[in-house]
Parts: sequence; C-alpha cells; structure tokens
Amino acid sequence: MMNEPEVTNEHEKRERRMVQWVVALVLFVAVIYAVTFIKLPVWLPALK
Amino acid sequence: MTEAITTHDHPPAGIMRWLTATNHKDLGILYMSFGGLMFFIGGAFIMAVRAELLLPGLQLLSPGMYNQLFTLHALIMVFGAIMPFATGLNNYLIPLMIGAPDMALPRVNNWGFWILPFAAVLLLIPFFLQFFGIGSGASAAGWVMHNTSLDLQSGIGMDFAIFTIHLLGLSSLTGAINVVVTVLNMRAPGMTLMKMPLFVWAWLITAFMLILVIPVFSAAATMLLTDRHFGTHFFDAANGGDPILLQHLIWFFGHPEVYIVLLPAWGLIPHILATFSRKPVYGYRAQVYALWAICFLSFLVWSHHMLTSGLPLAAEVYFMYATMAISIPTSVLVFCWLGAIWRGAMTFETPMLFALGFVAHFGMGALTGMILPDVAVNAQYHNSYVIVSHFHYTFFGGGIFGMMAALYYWLPKFTGRMFDEKLGRLHFWLTVIFFNMTFIPQWFAGLDGMPRHIADYALRFSAMNFISSLGAFLLGLSQLLLVYIVVKCVRNGPKATGQVWEGAQGLEFTLPSPPPYHTFETPPLVK
Repeated sequence: MMNEPEVTNEHEKRERRMVQWVVALVLFVAVIYAVTFIKLPVWLPALK
Repeated sequence: MTEAITTHDHPPAGIMRWLTATNHKDLGILYMSFGGLMFFIGGAFIMAVRAELLLPGLQLLSPGMYNQLFTLHALIMVFGAIMPFATGLNNYLIPLMIGAPDMALPRVNNWGFWILPFAAVLLLIPFFLQFFGIGSGASAAGWVMHNTSLDLQSGIGMDFAIFTIHLLGLSSLTGAINVVVTVLNMRAPGMTLMKMPLFVWAWLITAFMLILVIPVFSAAATMLLTDRHFGTHFFDAANGGDPILLQHLIWFFGHPEVYIVLLPAWGLIPHILATFSRKPVYGYRAQVYALWAICFLSFLVWSHHMLTSGLPLAAEVYFMYATMAISIPTSVLVFCWLGAIWRGAMTFETPMLFALGFVAHFGMGALTGMILPDVAVNAQYHNSYVIVSHFHYTFFGGGIFGMMAALYYWLPKFTGRMFDEKLGRLHFWLTVIFFNMTFIPQWFAGLDGMPRHIADYALRFSAMNFISSLGAFLLGLSQLLLVYIVVKCVRNGPKATGQVWEGAQGLEFTLPSPPPYHTFETPPLVK
C-alpha cells in the first residue's frame, strides 16, 4: 500500500508520461505529413 | 482473478449529457450510434446502385449519379460506419478492460466524436445541392480517389470530399493518440502488457497504424487540393507531375486501412470464441505477435493495388511475394481461432454465430486475397467484379460480421438487458444467406469479365446481376431487424447479470450490467 506522497508522486509521473507521449505522437504525425509533401514526390516515382 | 471496485452513478441529464460528454461510456454509445446510423445511410445509397444494376441498360440513374452513389456508399461505410463503430467499442471497452477510470484525454475524445457529424454533412451536402442546381454533385472518384484525372477535373464535390478527409483524419488521429496514451499509461496495477485482452492489443496496434498512415492520406488530399486550386503540379502529368504518385500515396494509406478496419474485429473475435467454447483464449502470445507482424507487413505491400499501373517487373514480383507473406501471420490468427473452439463445450448464441460467420466469410476474403496479388492473375481480374466481391468478403464478412458479433456480445453489458435470442439468430441466418446471395454472383460476373464502376453492362452478365441485386435488397431489409432487436432489448429486454455469458472472462464482466457511470475510480487489483 502506497502512502499519500507516493500516490501523488505516482500520479504526477503518470501525467508527465502522458504529456510526453502526446507531444511525441503529435510531432510524429507532423513529420510524416511534412515528409509526404517534401520527399515522397521524389522517392515514389523512382519506383518506376 | 480480480476485485472490481465501483462507485456512484450520476450521469448529467438532458441533451447536454451528450453534447458535452467526456465519459468514455457516453462517447462509446455516441460513436456506435453514429456508426449504426451511417451504416443505414451508406446502405441506402448502395440500394439505389443495385437497383440500377438489377437489369441491363440505364433505368434509374445517369452514369454520373451512379458514380457518386457508389463513392458515397464506400466513403460512408468505411469512414462513417465501420471505423466509428469500432472506435465506439474501444471507447466503451478499453477503460473497462484495463481497469482505468476513463480514456486518458476525455475532452479530446469529445472533440474527436463531434467532428464526425460535421464531416458527414460536408460529405453529403454537394450530393443534395445538385438537386437544387448548385454544383455538379458529390465526389465520384471512388473511396480512395484513385482516378487522378477525375480528381483534378471534377467539381466542388471533390473539394468537399478533400475537406471531409481532413476532418475525418483529425478525428481518427485524436482517437488513436488517446488509445495509445490510455493503454500505455492507465492500466490497473498488475495489468501488464501481456495480460491485456487481445481486443486492447488489437486497438493499440490499430492506433499506431492510424498515426502512421492518416498523415500520408491527409497530405495526399492537401496536395490534391493545391493541385486543383493553388497552381501546384504534384499529380498533373500535363505540367510535369506524376498521376501515379497519387495512387502510391493513396494506397500507402489504403492498404493499411484495410487492417485498420479488420484489426479491432480480429481482437474481439478470440474473446467471443473463447466464451462460447468455455475455454481460455487460445494462443494468446502467438496472436499478439501475429497482429504486430500483420501491422508491419501492411506497410510494405501497397502497390499490389497498382500491379497494372506499369511498375517495373522487380517491383511487381516484390509486391506479389510481400503480399502473400501476410498470409502467414493471418493463418496464425485463423488457426488460433480454430484452436479456441477445438473440443470446446460450444453453444451457439447469436454472438458466437456471428463470430463463426466472421471466421468463415473472412476466410473466403483472405483466401481470395492470396490469389489476387499474383501478377499474372491480377492482370486478368484488376478492376473487375472479382475485386468488388473479394473486398466485400473482407470488409463485410470480416469487418461487419465482427462488429455484429461484438454488438450482440456486449449489448447486454451496455444496456443491462438481454436481447431476443431467437430474433438474433434469425438476423444472423438472414444476413448469411443474403450476404452470399449478393456477393457470390459477383465472383462469377467478375470471372466472366464484368468490369466494376460501370452503370450498365453486357447482356451476358444479366443473370448474375439480377440475383446479386435481389440479394442486396434482402440483405438491406434484413438489417432493419437489427434495429428492432436493439430497440426491443433497450426497452423491455429481461435484465442481464453482470457476468452476462456463462464463460465470459475479463474485467468488464466483473461489473454490473450496465456498468455504473463511473467505474474503476480506485483501480482494481489484477493478479
């Protein structure tokens, strides 16, 4: 059984991890969107 | 296995409960209701298409109107019906299955849902405006907009479709990020990744797939928009662009999208088979690894949709073998499903019937999917009705049968009431008979050379189209029975127990039916 400061600490750690995941995933989406615009028009026609 | 701890039950009253919903169960119900509504709207559109195809010659629709209708049918069914319904299931069930009080981002969850009705209206507006002399109708380029010249030259319907795709993409991305963050951060103590129900695994993998492919689809739609209105030439061959590039981008999204639709069903089927076979889930680890393998391979096979577009031979051979390789992890799943029922004490309640129907029909879709990427075979069947039939055995036989199985399995949990088992079984058998009556003739028409996406056809295809249209009308009508079953269940079905089904396992079945408005505020202990 965790005491109160430990529970708060665990809660804060979880919140921090959540924000980190959201930021990382949103950045990932932005990178894929940008790469599709900038690089795929060059890479994919090369399949010919 | 667990100790479930529940608390008070006080949902807000009135319409504001739904408009401002942040509770995962409310949003789950909203998503599923929206998916159900769109299922019938998309179905109505295809009834008009099948009515036109009932007899050779043009009776009801112009070719342009026909193209709009099948395009809207496809867009609505994939993005408006199956995906939102599966998202509703994840919203309702994932927190219950992992012992979390809610999804990690409840307000984002609300936003993700309420984008959908606006996106649907945007998609449909140009279709109805044409009857008042405004614009030239809805998009008519098919669900993946693979006809580049049509995409570049058609009217405002395409602009509306492009805007809709961006909105739907935003909704899917918010939902996917929410799933990843919830599953990775909010599991109850003791609920390790390898103890998670397969449905949660399937949705975690689906969410990662969405996060990877939706930006590509959205970027392709943006490029199309800039080509149409802002002077770029990504896809415009007359100005040095590459029309095939659009096909690459679209199918890089479009093929994983097939698995995005199917994975949630693959995740829930093992639970249902195990419950009604009175056995534990068979081959849990093998199924988890197989789902990951399918996810990985699905990004490497997109050009099997483009084998007739003039790819070099080496690329064609690669895409053929890579596609066939997907059959290995898929077979692992199918054998695990069969292993689950092998020597089980099976009973055949409605969810089990739909789950077995799923295995049989999806199996037919998957087996034909093994044949079609063969380069030589594909040259024969590309753009024929063989593709239409294969696609529907996969999406309807897999996706819709899976969603129906899930609906019947968890409906007593959602509503606290049992549905009419006799009517459920009747609904199953009508669906099986009329589904096959619709799509088996399309195999033969396709094998005989009937091309898809045409409003009229040669006389020799008449018999098959007549049977197929008749089957489609009856299939559509028989789905109204589902509405009656659900309404009857909600209104005056007998009370369901918390356990609901004798062999059911999982945290959600440790709660009463329906679960209280707030659940697992104190996490359960998972041993």
